[in-house]
Amino acid sequence: MTPIHPYADVGQPAQPEVLLVDDDEVNLLLTELALRERGFKLVGASSGEQALALLRDWTPDIVVLDALMPGMDGFDTCRALRRLPGHETVPVLMLTGLDDDASITRAYQAGATDFFVKATQWGLLAGRLHYLLRASRTRIELERSKSKLARAQDLARMGSFDWWRPERGDASGLVMSPEALRVFGFGPHEPVGLRTLLRMVPHDDRRSFLRLLHEALRHASVVATDVPIILLDGRQRIIHVEAEPEFNEHGHGAGYTGIVQDVTDRRLAEDKIRQLANFDALTGLPNRRQLIWRAERALEQARRMGHQFALLLIDLDRFKIINDTLGHGAGDEALVEVGRRLRACVRHSEQVMEGALEAAGVRSHRSLEAVGRLGGDEFVALLPEVVSEQDAERVAQRVLESLREPIFVGGQECFVTASVGVAMYPRDGASVVDLLRNSDIAMYSVKVQGKNSAAVYSPQLAGRGREKLELETALHKAIERDELVLHYQPKIDVRAARMVGAEALMRWQRGGRLVPPGEFIPLAEDTGLIVPLSEWALREAARQARQWQQAFGFAESIAVNLPSRLFERSDLVEHIHQCVTAVSVPHRMVQLEITEDNLMKDLQNVIPALHRLNEIGVEISIDDFGTGYSSLAYLTTLPISEVKIDRSFVRDLGITPQSAAVVTAIIALARSLGLRVVAEGVETLRQMDVLHRLGCGLMQGFLFSRAVPPDELRHWLEHTVLPRKAAWIGSAVQVETVDDGARLAGSIPYR
Amino acid sequence: MSLEPPIPGAPSTAASSTALDAAALARLRELDPDGRQGVLLRVLAAYETSLARMLGQLHAARDAGDAGAVAELAHKLKSSSASVGAIALAATCAEIERRLRAGAPGDLAADVARLAADGGAALGAVGAMLRP
Repeated sequence: MTPIHPYADVGQPAQPEVLLVDDDEVNLLLTELALRERGFKLVGASSGEQALALLRDWTPDIVVLDALMPGMDGFDTCRALRRLPGHETVPVLMLTGLDDDASITRAYQAGATDFFVKATQWGLLAGRLHYLLRASRTRIELERSKSKLARAQDLARMGSFDWWRPERGDASGLVMSPEALRVFGFGPHEPVGLRTLLRMVPHDDRRSFLRLLHEALRHASVVATDVPIILLDGRQRIIHVEAEPEFNEHGHGAGYTGIVQDVTDRRLAEDKIRQLANFDALTGLPNRRQLIWRAERALEQARRMGHQFALLLIDLDRFKIINDTLGHGAGDEALVEVGRRLRACVRHSEQVMEGALEAAGVRSHRSLEAVGRLGGDEFVALLPEVVSEQDAERVAQRVLESLREPIFVGGQECFVTASVGVAMYPRDGASVVDLLRNSDIAMYSVKVQGKNSAAVYSPQLAGRGREKLELETALHKAIERDELVLHYQPKIDVRAARMVGAEALMRWQRGGRLVPPGEFIPLAEDTGLIVPLSEWALREAARQARQWQQAFGFAESIAVNLPSRLFERSDLVEHIHQCVTAVSVPHRMVQLEITEDNLMKDLQNVIPALHRLNEIGVEISIDDFGTGYSSLAYLTTLPISEVKIDRSFVRDLGITPQSAAVVTAIIALARSLGLRVVAEGVETLRQMDVLHRLGCGLMQGFLFSRAVPPDELRHWLEHTVLPRKAAWIGSAVQVETVDDGARLAGSIPYR
Repeated sequence: MSLEPPIPGAPSTAASSTALDAAALARLRELDPDGRQGVLLRVLAAYETSLARMLGQLHAARDAGDAGAVAELAHKLKSSSASVGAIALAATCAEIERRLRAGAPGDLAADVARLAADGGAALGAVGAMLRP
C-alpha cells in the first residue's frame, strides 16, 4: 500500500528517511506511527547518545529532535550532530514546548534548521518536514550549482568580483571570488586590494587603464576592456574585465559587479590568426590581402592629401630554373633571402593593419610603406608617398642593386635578377586594381626587353604585353593538350601535273580558333618553346608520311621548317632518326627547311649538322631564298638540295622586270649547282606561266592549294589532280605541249 | 492555560478522571483504523510502562528535593498523558510544570502527591483497558 500524501513532489525521495529522537516511548511510538502513515521512513532513538551513534554511518534526510531529554538534551545533540562529517547541512527540526521561547532561540543557536511545537497534530508535523526537505534540496542544488559555476569559472580562467565605492563603509572596496584571485595568481583567501591589482598593470598601460576606469565611474557606464598585467611570478597575461554598475536606492552608482577572465591564449590565437591572414608564411612579408589593404589606404590618403604614391611590381627572372634544378626547398630559401633584401629597400613597416588606420596623424600613411609578396616569385613594394617618378625609380634601382650579390641556396651560389614595373597614382591608375595591372604591364615590358631592369608604366606599353604573356602560357600547354596540328601545302611539278612533296605548316587550334603561325611562331622562338614545338612537328610529319605511304603510296618527302637554333642542338640528327624509324619510313621522307636568314646568321654553327643530316639522307631546303644577304660562295659548299624562291619575287613577276631578273638568276645558279628550285606563293596562272617559261617547273601556292589538313590534301589529290580537273592543269599541259611534250607521256602520279 | 493545546472534550468533572478521554482514544485508533497493528494496545502498554517508571522517579525527586527534576518529569508526563487521553493527569502536569519553571516551587511533596494520585488513576484506567 503506497501512502499518498499531499506534499509529494518531483525530486524528493519517495520515502524520506527521518531520524526521530525522543526519550518518551509514548511520543516516540505515536510520532513514528503518525509519520509512517504519511509516507516517511522512521528510525527512532530514545536518547541523544543513541542518535549520534546511528548517525556515525548513516545520513537521514531529516532529523527530528526532542529539545528536552534527560542526559544529552536536544541542543547538545544538535551541536554534536553538526560536528559530524557529512551532517553539516542535514535539516534538523527541534521539537519544543509551545511557551518555550528560550528553547526556540537555543535551538537555532545549536544549529537546528527549524522548530516545531510538540503536539498531536501529525499532519502539521508532516507538512513541516516536507517543507524542510524541499528547502534542503533547494539548498543542495544551489550549493551544487555554485560549485559547478566555480569549476566552470576555474576552467575558463574566470572569476567574479564586486567593488563598492569607499563611502559605503565597511563593505567598500574590492571583493574577489577565489576563482578571480586565482586569475591573478593569488591564493583563495589572500587579501588583495584594487591597488595591488593596478600595480600589476605595466606602467605604460596603467595610466590609460585608470583613465578608462575613472570615465566609467563618472558616467556609471559598463566596463569592458582587455588589460595586460604582469603576475608576481613575472608571467605576462591579458585580462578581460567586464563589469556592470550597481545602483543604490537613489539611483546613484554604488559600485560594480563583474568578471575577470584570463584571455591571453585567446589573444595569442587571435594574433596568430591575424598574422596568418595578413602575412606570407614563407617570407613573413605582408601577403596579397594585406598589401591590397595597405594600397587601398595609401590611395585614400594620397587622394585626400593630393600627393602621389607608387606601386612597384617586382618579378624574379627565370626563377623557375632555381625550382626546377635545385628543388623547391632551395627555391623557398631563395625567396626568403630575396624577401629579406627587398625589405631593406624601403622603410618597411611590420605593423598588422586592419580596420581603421589608427593614430590619424598627417604622416600616418608612412606606416603603410612595405614590401610584400603577392605570391610565387612576385613581390610588391608600396611607396605611400613619393614626390616624383624619380623617387620610385630610385627605389626600383635599389631593388635591382640589392639582388646583385649572389644568393646561397642548396649549398650553391645563385644569381637572381628581377624585372620591376612601376605605376604611379594618380597618373597610371585611379584604383589599386588599375595600378597593379599597369605595373604588371610595365614589368612585362622589362621581361620582353631582356629582364633585370625597371620600367615605369606608359600607355604605349599597355597594348600587347599581357596578351603575349597569356599566349606564352597557353602555348606551353598546347603540345600536351594536343592543340597543335600540321597542315600541308603541296609542292607541284606543273609539267607533270603531280605532287612532288608537301610542306608541313604548323597551326594552333586554340579554343575553337585556328591561330596562324605568324601569331605564335615568333613568340615560340623568343621563349625557346620553338624547340619542343619543332620536335613535335618532326614526329608528326614522319607519322603523316607513313600514313600517306600506306594510304596511297606516297613516296616523296614532307618538309618541316626548323629554326637555326634547332640545328645547333647536338641531338637533332638522333631525334630525326628516332622519328622516322619509329614509324618505319626512310630518312629521305623528312625534309628540313631553314630560312636563308636563319642559315646565314648561324652558318658556322649550323654547317656540321647539315652535313650529318645529309649523310643519313635527310635533304635540306633553303627557304625564302633571295631575300638574305647570302654569300653565294657558301652555297657551293653547303650540303643542300633545294632552294625556294621567295614569294615576294613571284608576286612581282610580270609587274617589275627586276623580279624576273632575280628569279632567272636564282634558277641559273641553282641549275649550275645541281639544286632543285621551287617557287613559292604562286597564286595566278600568269605567274605559273612566267615561272615555267623561265625554267622553274616546281611550284607551291594558292593557285594549286593552300595548306590544308592531311585528309583534305588526299581528297584534293583524288578529286582534283588525278581527274585533271584544275584550271592550272590544262594550262600546264598546254605549256607542256609547246615546250616538253615528251616528258608528259610517262608521268601519271600516284596510282 | 489558554496557551495549552486544546484538548477536545476536556473533562470538567472528577468522574471523568477515572477513564481515558474518548476523543484522544479515537485519534489513536485513527492511526490504525482496522486495528491490525494493535496500535492502541501498544501505545497504552508503552504509556503504562513509562508512567509507572516516572511515578517512581517522581518520588525519588521529591525525596531529593529536586524541583527541576520534578518539572522535567511533569513535562514529559504531560504530553504522553495528553496523547493517551489521561486528561486530568496532563492538566496537573502542565500546571505544576509551569509553576516550577516559573521559579515558584511551593510544596514539592504536595505536588508529587497530586501527580501520584492522578497518575494512579490513569494507571488504573489504562490497566482496565489493557486487561479487561
